[in-house]
Amino acid sequence: MAKPKLALYWAASCGGCDVAVLDTNEKILDIANLADIVFWPIAIDFKYHHVKAMEDNSIDLCLFNGAVRSSEQEEIARLLRDKSKVMVAFGACACFGGIPALANFTNRDEIFRRAYIEAPSNDNENGTLPLTRTEVTEGELELPELFDTVLTLEQVVKVEYFVPGCPPPVDLILKLLDLYATGKLPPPGAVIASDKTLCDECTRKKEEKKITRLYRPHEIIPDPEKCLLEQGIICCGPVTRGGCGLRCIEANMPCRGCFGPPPGVVDQGAKLVSAIASIYQANSEDEIKKMVAEVVDPAGTFYRFGLADSMLKRKRLQKS
Amino acid sequence: MKAARRIPLLKKMLSQLGIEDERVRLDWVSASEGDRFATIVNEMTERIKQLGPFNRNGGGENG
Repeated sequence: MAKPKLALYWAASCGGCDVAVLDTNEKILDIANLADIVFWPIAIDFKYHHVKAMEDNSIDLCLFNGAVRSSEQEEIARLLRDKSKVMVAFGACACFGGIPALANFTNRDEIFRRAYIEAPSNDNENGTLPLTRTEVTEGELELPELFDTVLTLEQVVKVEYFVPGCPPPVDLILKLLDLYATGKLPPPGAVIASDKTLCDECTRKKEEKKITRLYRPHEIIPDPEKCLLEQGIICCGPVTRGGCGLRCIEANMPCRGCFGPPPGVVDQGAKLVSAIASIYQANSEDEIKKMVAEVVDPAGTFYRFGLADSMLKRKRLQKS
Repeated sequence: MKAARRIPLLKKMLSQLGIEDERVRLDWVSASEGDRFATIVNEMTERIKQLGPFNRNGGGENG
């Protein structure tokens, strides 16, 4: 029997998900033994036209990392969907928008203005901005178009499985491949992680959750044994899916929410508003004001990885 | 008490997402204050009508 064909792609991402695949160390050889890698831009020199030449459904498993925020990424997402039997949203960006989706607090015009005109390192007297089409003497040059809104993979194409994390931990990558190799994949739509919250899996000592002040991570050295929320540090553990292996918690840093909402939670940020306000002992108007002021950037903190996947998806876009 | 804490925090978050403050209102009405209840609901309906339908992307593309 021919080996199954595996494709990996990166869209709006930092490359960390691809590095996480390489972090499987010697197991990467097992992956290469198990499957033929037919497309992997970071590691192997296949081009888009090689993928376009493939038959539909000829790729068995596609691990797609990164959010979708340009016409090129959208085109390749659709192309890989057509060519793949099983599409996996791999990593927080593909699953929920991730860090790139923080751009949904702004829009293309504002991003271009900041990046190409206002940024202090620019020398752009003519105010030149990227154009999708440019005439030069040799002919017409074409660039992909940047979207106003960063999208999750599932907002563009049908997705069978989700492997969350920034980046996905090695044990979940191996679990996915093992489930695939042994034909034990769960029903489509499943998230390959834990069904509990991070708090359920956290090993820190938890007592009574009552706080009277919030600290930003740089304002305090947390007790490594105690619940971070009880120490007044915003930790997304109560509203985040577990399965990450407590990487941040064990480094004495709060959970940032990169595994997305747990089962049953629709909107991670709204849920965290509720949780923080419940435990903060503000019982007068002044104390409530103090609490609100101490959450310096609620939307950015509570939707750090999940803005594209949230109910509101983005900052309201005012366009005439 | 928790609602009194949640709504101001929620409003701060919604303002970052470009949603008008007037779209969310927290008020307290006793079970015996039927008139007051009706007045507040009518005021809120009127205010929302004035603001118009909520359009997430104001006609922008891709989302």
